[in-house]
Amino acid sequence: MYPVTADTLVLGIETSCDETAAALVMGGADVISSVVSSQVDLHADFGGVVPEIASRAHLDVLNPVVARAIVEAGVDERRIDAVACTVGPGLIGALLVGVSAAKAFALAWDVPFVAVNHMEAHLYAAFLEDPTLEFPLVVLLVSGGHTMIVEMRDHGDYTLLGRTIDDAAGEAFDKVARFLDLGYPGGPAIDAAALEGDPEAIRFPRAMLDDGLDVSFSGLKTAVMNHVRRNPDVSSADVAASFQAAVVDVLVTKARRAARQVGATGIVLGGGVAANSLLREELLGACAADDLQGFLPSREMCTDNAAMIAAAGWHRLRIDGPSPLDTGAHPNLALPLRP
Amino acid sequence: MLILGIETATAQVSVAIGGHEGVIALFEVARGRRHAEILAPAVEFVCRQADIELDELGVIAVDTGPGLFTGMRVGLASAKALAQALRIPMIGISSLDLLAFPNRHTDRVVVPVIDARKGEVFWAMYRQVPGGLQQVAPPTVGPVDDLVADLLARSQEALCIGDGAHRYREEILDGYHCEIGEDAHPSAAPLVQLAHARALREEWVNPREITATYLRAPDAQINWSTRERRA
Ligand SMILES: [Zn+2]
Repeated sequence: MYPVTADTLVLGIETSCDETAAALVMGGADVISSVVSSQVDLHADFGGVVPEIASRAHLDVLNPVVARAIVEAGVDERRIDAVACTVGPGLIGALLVGVSAAKAFALAWDVPFVAVNHMEAHLYAAFLEDPTLEFPLVVLLVSGGHTMIVEMRDHGDYTLLGRTIDDAAGEAFDKVARFLDLGYPGGPAIDAAALEGDPEAIRFPRAMLDDGLDVSFSGLKTAVMNHVRRNPDVSSADVAASFQAAVVDVLVTKARRAARQVGATGIVLGGGVAANSLLREELLGACAADDLQGFLPSREMCTDNAAMIAAAGWHRLRIDGPSPLDTGAHPNLALPLRP
Repeated sequence: MLILGIETATAQVSVAIGGHEGVIALFEVARGRRHAEILAPAVEFVCRQADIELDELGVIAVDTGPGLFTGMRVGLASAKALAQALRIPMIGISSLDLLAFPNRHTDRVVVPVIDARKGEVFWAMYRQVPGGLQQVAPPTVGPVDDLVADLLARSQEALCIGDGAHRYREEILDGYHCEIGEDAHPSAAPLVQLAHARALREEWVNPREITATYLRAPDAQINWSTRERRA
């Protein structure tokens, strides 16, 4: 156990995908500053994140983002006790910018460097807003890059209960939005279009609904495309609403089943897709029906940010101590699971 | 004034410390794709062995490319973060300048050639002038055939160096009679030497002003603009 306290100030750095972020968090819980620079406009023309464009942008904006996080916190940088950074999973070129910079900051300030797993950090986002959450919890993590259902029995104690076997939920939103010409990113675009449509207009398939805790969205995406090709005059709003209803139905059913299976006290939502209004509404409804606590972090905490990296870094520093300076980036890094 | 130089634009990771006594310490590993793993420990090692604390440094110098994008950014991100944290200025120097500089005592045209993958190379051309080298052809990226055409157009005695010259030795020699020199990678040793001369003239910048020289648009952008043009 490394001696960290409620006063230990961690600088978090996040560059795994298309957000460049830095944050200062005290004691693994108290967000002093959190700065996120989104590249969404740079990638909009391409309908998805272009890795080389992301890496270039991270290099250009990381230094100002870190400087702003320090200025906004109003602390002297010499007060920083450790530098935590996402080392994976994510885009390799993008990760390497953050990892290299984070190690250099740690070296220059002569403080520990802490390697953080991006997925573990997402689990910590909820604790930044509600430190009273009680274990065991089921976390439904849905974003453009990940879709998983995790049981969290304690800090650092995770069991993967289910995951997507093909597309991530956010990826399905992006692809369907692009197909329907609704714009990028797909999540908010579908969410907005769905408000005007009828979720029961088309009965899209719910793959593997009665089968375990894994999910699959690739068949749904194909079904949407086939339906639109066969019915060129169909309302995009109806398609968006029916597609969204199918995704949410699957996610909520699985999360509920997972919570029941492990006897969880509640369900926590995380990841960029957690901003989806139907998902939020349906999950809270399901929790109320099953007598579970339902926790929906704010949009800022659901999407990629560095406060969650700093928080997870504080816990990792306490459990594992500093990470070596020859740590690299790991694009396919898995969640550290219970053995 | 002490200068830390960081160079990661090719398969080599190179770190040096220098000052008015010249290069004090140099660390180099030339086989790898593990730049991010090697660089931070290398900086720590070089400083420790030279008995220099990081806060004694006056300038961070860095190779700004062209070179392999991912490796290049490891050096640039590290160097910029070090300079920002230590609150010291930076000097950025091109990888092609660094390859050419050790070969400045020749009458021939010096042609650094860096492998750009995808059948292409980065190159530039330099001539000896009193006190150093002058660039006579700007940094360019293109297929080896274009380099050969450039050499033929000039028809001067040439010395080609760098990993690109080694990789495409036969293609170059088939097209143009010249010498392929031994130097394969830019090094942090000429980096701190060149940076020292500039530092004396206070030709340095804020870390934010240091940017990478790519010479090539990101792949998706290339595909996209050709698609746009076709549409
Ligand atoms: Zn994420």
